[in-house]
Amino acid sequence: MAGLNNLLNVARDALTAQSYGLNVTGQNIANASTPGYVRRVALLETQNLGTQSGGGVRAAGLDRVTNDYIERRENQATGTASAATARDQTLASIEALFNDGAGTGLGSALNDVFASFSALATNPNDTTTRANVLAAAGAFVDRANQTGNTLSQMQIDLKQQAQDTVNQVNQRAQEIAKLDMQIAQATMQGDDASDLKDQRTQKILNMSGLINTHTFTDGSGNTVVQVAGTTIVDGQHARSLSLDMNADGSLKLLVDQPGGGGSEITQFLTGGKLAGIKDARDKDLFDVSQKLNTLVFDVASAINTQHALGAGTDGGTGRNLFDLGATSTNAARDVRVSVDVFDHPDRIAAASNVFSLPGGSDNAVALSKIFDTQVVFGNTKTAANAYGDIIGSIGSTRASSQRDVETQNAILSQVQSMHQSQSGVSLDEEMVNLTKFQSAYQAASKMIGVADQLMQTLLNTVGR
Amino acid sequence: MRVTEQMRYDSVANNLSQLSSRQAKAAQEAQSGLRVNLPSDDPIAAAQLARLAASQSQVAARRSTISSVRGDAELAESSLQQASDLMASAKDLAMQGGNGSLGANERATLAQQVKDIRDQLIGIANTKGTSGYLFAGSATETTPFSQSGAFNGNDDAHVVDIGNSTPSAVNASGAKAFTIAGGRDVFGDLDALYNALSSNDTTAIAASLDGIDRSRSQLTNAQTAIGITLNKLDASDSVQSAIDLQNSKSTADIGGADPAKAYSTLVQLNNALQQSVTVGKSILDLSAFKQF
Repeated sequence: MAGLNNLLNVARDALTAQSYGLNVTGQNIANASTPGYVRRVALLETQNLGTQSGGGVRAAGLDRVTNDYIERRENQATGTASAATARDQTLASIEALFNDGAGTGLGSALNDVFASFSALATNPNDTTTRANVLAAAGAFVDRANQTGNTLSQMQIDLKQQAQDTVNQVNQRAQEIAKLDMQIAQATMQGDDASDLKDQRTQKILNMSGLINTHTFTDGSGNTVVQVAGTTIVDGQHARSLSLDMNADGSLKLLVDQPGGGGSEITQFLTGGKLAGIKDARDKDLFDVSQKLNTLVFDVASAINTQHALGAGTDGGTGRNLFDLGATSTNAARDVRVSVDVFDHPDRIAAASNVFSLPGGSDNAVALSKIFDTQVVFGNTKTAANAYGDIIGSIGSTRASSQRDVETQNAILSQVQSMHQSQSGVSLDEEMVNLTKFQSAYQAASKMIGVADQLMQTLLNTVGR
Repeated sequence: MRVTEQMRYDSVANNLSQLSSRQAKAAQEAQSGLRVNLPSDDPIAAAQLARLAASQSQVAARRSTISSVRGDAELAESSLQQASDLMASAKDLAMQGGNGSLGANERATLAQQVKDIRDQLIGIANTKGTSGYLFAGSATETTPFSQSGAFNGNDDAHVVDIGNSTPSAVNASGAKAFTIAGGRDVFGDLDALYNALSSNDTTAIAASLDGIDRSRSQLTNAQTAIGITLNKLDASDSVQSAIDLQNSKSTADIGGADPAKAYSTLVQLNNALQQSVTVGKSILDLSAFKQF
């Protein structure tokens, strides 16, 4: 039997429930632009009085509007997009290094060397044309050294970046394990732990940007986080990753084993910044360095062979123009103007033999003809064609990487949009909620007023 | 679809950033006049441009070679012309000396003139150009002909690359022009004439005429040879200049931007960017809160 007192109780519950609703709306508005915030919905339900209806309203907590499927998609898309972006950054640096638009690149320096041989042939006994050969060879060596050094430095920097990224992954794993523990405690105490869950989702998303990350909930309700196919956070325990180098200088990713040591998981590294860095370092950079070293080695060797056949005006023969290693390894970085001829223009071998000194020019012509000879890449390309090939291959790798970045970012922003559509705060919606709860609150206050009035009427009548 | 604030911001930001980057690229293209500013703008074109640049460098080197060696070759030609003219004068003197009415004194005077011619000819044969003695072969620093007429040079060719498949010789052979290597020892022939005139020996004078003639035609032949070399230099230069022109044209075609197109694209993108900003503003202005 519902009496006036019950009306007051109902009105009181209504005030509590509606102000809870207002509170949740307030939270949503406050966090409208907080990254990783998932909108809450106040759950109101009727309060039963046993089997009777006519009870009031009760705030039964709140709902965090998430969708595991979309979150996983977002993690995956973030990983792929980060990998593409990280790789593209390195490719952009490589491309800038080989941009010969200003005529100051390696290609121009190489062309100048051959032009200097041509000029030498016109006036073999002139000290200036001889000095120009040395100057052009020096400029080529400088360019090759700079390019080679920059590529080596990039390789070192990328390893450092990879190490930093691995450290961040380990840090995130620790944080996620800690949050798992806090969430478990909060849940045990009956709290909804929404804020902690938001934080965990955000950390996992952040981790996805670093390395390919996959999550699932195991049988006992724990969130399991896997990176590169390996469980890194299981419930409240975190493992750590480490980085090593193979004999060929490529990077190796390991996960630490409980008993010590680590097992390699490099082959499962498919996404995140780390994958982009590894691809850029061990494939793209490696490839470019190798081609550059081969080009420098092959051209310098061909010039050396021809140069050694000729004679300098001092009568000396058999001298190299460049000092080179035995193989093309690091040739770009290590090539130098030979100590045999450095600072000795007279030792440039323009003549083919000592008998045609000082006016013989046939060796100079032969040197300049190397320009048209296929001496590079197993004698299949001329120097200019080989350089053009390198430029073309760098350009097409970068162009396809740029397209990749665009595509992956478009996919990511679509998934983000889906995620936002699901879990983001809509201020319009909150405005309506605000008005809704406000009106309900005002109506409940009115109910108290009405109950009070009725009570007064009753008391006045009875008390007379 | 449920639309949230963040989605609006993201979409406005994404659109603006995409348009801005396209606009920046278009601006670079319009400003630089180049379609290929980076290899990735058009990898195939970038590779071609690198090869064209190499070819241009080679063409420039060849043209510069041609203009450098041209001076010495012209000097050699005019020197040989003078030499052959001197031989013609020597022949005149020989004809005069063969005239039976002349006395020993007059022949002695003629002999003196022949000696002068011989000295001049030694001077000519020792002419120096920009790369040393013109007629010394590769011994460009050694005076090729001593006063006695002995040859100290060699018959090496001065070869350069002017674009032919084999290296081209661009010097005149002093050995073939002046010494027995060419068939006649020019100075020896003049000596014979001088001796004949000095000794007042008309028979010997008549006998020397043939040598003088042959020597003269040897010098003329040498002059013709260097003339042919000069023609070759000219021909090569016009070939190289045609390649140069073609390369420049290809470079502009492959790497250059069409100014009208680049400019209109830029204007189009500027407008699009402007509109996008306006539209973005009005999208972000949408909010139910403002109505209350």
